[in-house]
Amino acid sequence: MIASFLLVAAGVGVCVIGAVAWREHRRGVADRDMQRRREEEHRRQAIELVESEARLQLSVDAITQGVVLATADGVEIYRNRYAQAFAEARHGEALVEACIGDLLAQAAHGETVEREVELFGPPRRCYFVSAKPLRIDDKNYGAVAQIDDVTESQRLDAMRRDFVSNISHELRTPMGALCLLAETLAGESDPLVVSRLATRVQAEAIRLSDTMNDLLELSQIESDEMIERTVVSIQDVVRDALLRVSQAAANRQIQIEISLPELVLEVQGDQRQLTSAVFNLLDNAVKYSEVQRKVWVTVRTVRAAWASKAPRQEPLEAVVEIEVRDEGCGIAPDHAQRIFERFYRVDNSRTDAVAGVGLGLAIVRHVATNHNGEVEVASGLGQGSTFTLRLAGTLRLAGCSGVDSSGVDSSGVDISGAGTRAGPGAGMADDFVGAAV
Amino acid sequence: MGELRRSFHEELEEIKVGIVQMAALVTEAVPRATESLLESNLQLAQQLIDADDELDDLAVYLEEHCHQVLALQAPMASDLRALSSALKLNAELERSGDLAVNIAKATRRIYGTRYDAALRGLLVQMSEEACRLVRLSIDAYVDGNAGLASALSDIDDRLDSLNSECVQAVFKAHQAGTIDLQAAVQLCLISRYYERIGDHAVNIGERVVYMVTGWLPEYTGSARLRIRRSQQLDNSTADERG
Repeated sequence: MIASFLLVAAGVGVCVIGAVAWREHRRGVADRDMQRRREEEHRRQAIELVESEARLQLSVDAITQGVVLATADGVEIYRNRYAQAFAEARHGEALVEACIGDLLAQAAHGETVEREVELFGPPRRCYFVSAKPLRIDDKNYGAVAQIDDVTESQRLDAMRRDFVSNISHELRTPMGALCLLAETLAGESDPLVVSRLATRVQAEAIRLSDTMNDLLELSQIESDEMIERTVVSIQDVVRDALLRVSQAAANRQIQIEISLPELVLEVQGDQRQLTSAVFNLLDNAVKYSEVQRKVWVTVRTVRAAWASKAPRQEPLEAVVEIEVRDEGCGIAPDHAQRIFERFYRVDNSRTDAVAGVGLGLAIVRHVATNHNGEVEVASGLGQGSTFTLRLAGTLRLAGCSGVDSSGVDSSGVDISGAGTRAGPGAGMADDFVGAAV
Repeated sequence: MGELRRSFHEELEEIKVGIVQMAALVTEAVPRATESLLESNLQLAQQLIDADDELDDLAVYLEEHCHQVLALQAPMASDLRALSSALKLNAELERSGDLAVNIAKATRRIYGTRYDAALRGLLVQMSEEACRLVRLSIDAYVDGNAGLASALSDIDDRLDSLNSECVQAVFKAHQAGTIDLQAAVQLCLISRYYERIGDHAVNIGERVVYMVTGWLPEYTGSARLRIRRSQQLDNSTADERG
């Protein structure tokens, strides 16, 4: 009895001990689990923190503005990639860097400051630097500086201002003259004076209508982004443009020398627009040259070579360059960037002698853009100017099968065969040199 | 020691940044002076003359900083050369800034004079060339590039020949009667100012060579003089004996 009681007691004891041990074990396991979970949580948080910081940093790097952070003592602690360029700057941009440091120090003391830094370069640049204090209630977290490149927006602002002032000037001047002339005309009875005044009225009216025509042409070219593309012969384009400019050249006794390759050059595009572009280049060259000078027109191809075995009859893709060179007054480098803007004229006071509205080159640029081409200028004051219009086109040998009638001038002068000779001897040039001199 | 050296090198770095900033002020002042000249922009000329105070202020600060570091840290060898070169560069750049101011002042003196495009073109070229030389000299300084630094005197040849071309063009314009004598003299001086800015850049180049290698072109001349003197001494003792 006692023995069985002891046995039961022992069994119970073992059970209790076992249960206690088991519980202890379970608790240990749970503790370890908890700890592991906590560690995992920490790790996850740490990873998230790193990730979010990286994300933040990458996005601040991605913006095209400079961001620089400083502590409350004005000590710099962070800058994004855009602002990094200023830290390494050596020349003009070093002044932007000095300005950033200056403004951050001020902003750390609680002031909101901003400054514009204009650099003459070249190239000319303009930066807008602003710095703000970072404060919540009275706690000072330092300051942030922001750097913006406002070169382009300032340029556009200036362009808009110039546009309005120029167009009103261009329209008002002949208008005012017309009013005055008409007034005088009304009270005039001398037939000689009347006829002289009438001629002046006509001249002013023509000037006004020229401005209108230029404007209309530009707006048409600007709106015609989807041009109707046909195959246009460059030789035709140059010939038409030369015809249009020949009178002005003759008036100023300017000799135009042309040089065309022996190849048939064709581009996909709008003949009227292309002619207008080449005409404007020629017209400028003639206008800005002194009397009895020369103007050169050169058409050439670049980046074109026949593969040795390719059949020569096949048209070949190439870049066509139409170059118009003059010995005129030239353009200073800082104006050269702006001359393709509408109404931009290099300092009106000096060029008043030359009539024009300043739309020609804007037209040229738009035509080039519409044809996926480009136009550029190489010039210096007193060194003449060279304008190059570059278009994608095709070329093939003259006289090969498939040459259409555009290769041959209707007057019987074979332009495409004129060769690369420059000068009065070259087919077409004869007509115009004859007319010009 | 390590701590001290670190802060010393930080100070050297600060001085370097200051020099770069001075050079930036100069390379910005020169095209401004040219624009005020070509556009007859008196307002811009005045701004430039006023802005020179900033350059002077920075020059004074840098010089004091250099003296302080020299006195307190007593640097040696290349550190000493870097500091003494910074002092020299400081003076050269300050002078270059003054030359830009001289151009702005000359702009005021010849206000209203019209001169031809060829002459204007030459002035633009000189301005660009002078700026290019200053930029190159600072590139050489920051990179410690002795090769580029010693090439500067050859690069400067172009500016020198532009200067003589410009003076010729002024003479021609004066002979043709397009500009009066006063304007002609001022234009020649302006051309000379640009040329001098180039010369200062060459001086900076020589200093950079010295900073990097410890050698100065003047050493050649002084060595020549010493040889000449010792030869004279030899000759005279020989004469006495003879």
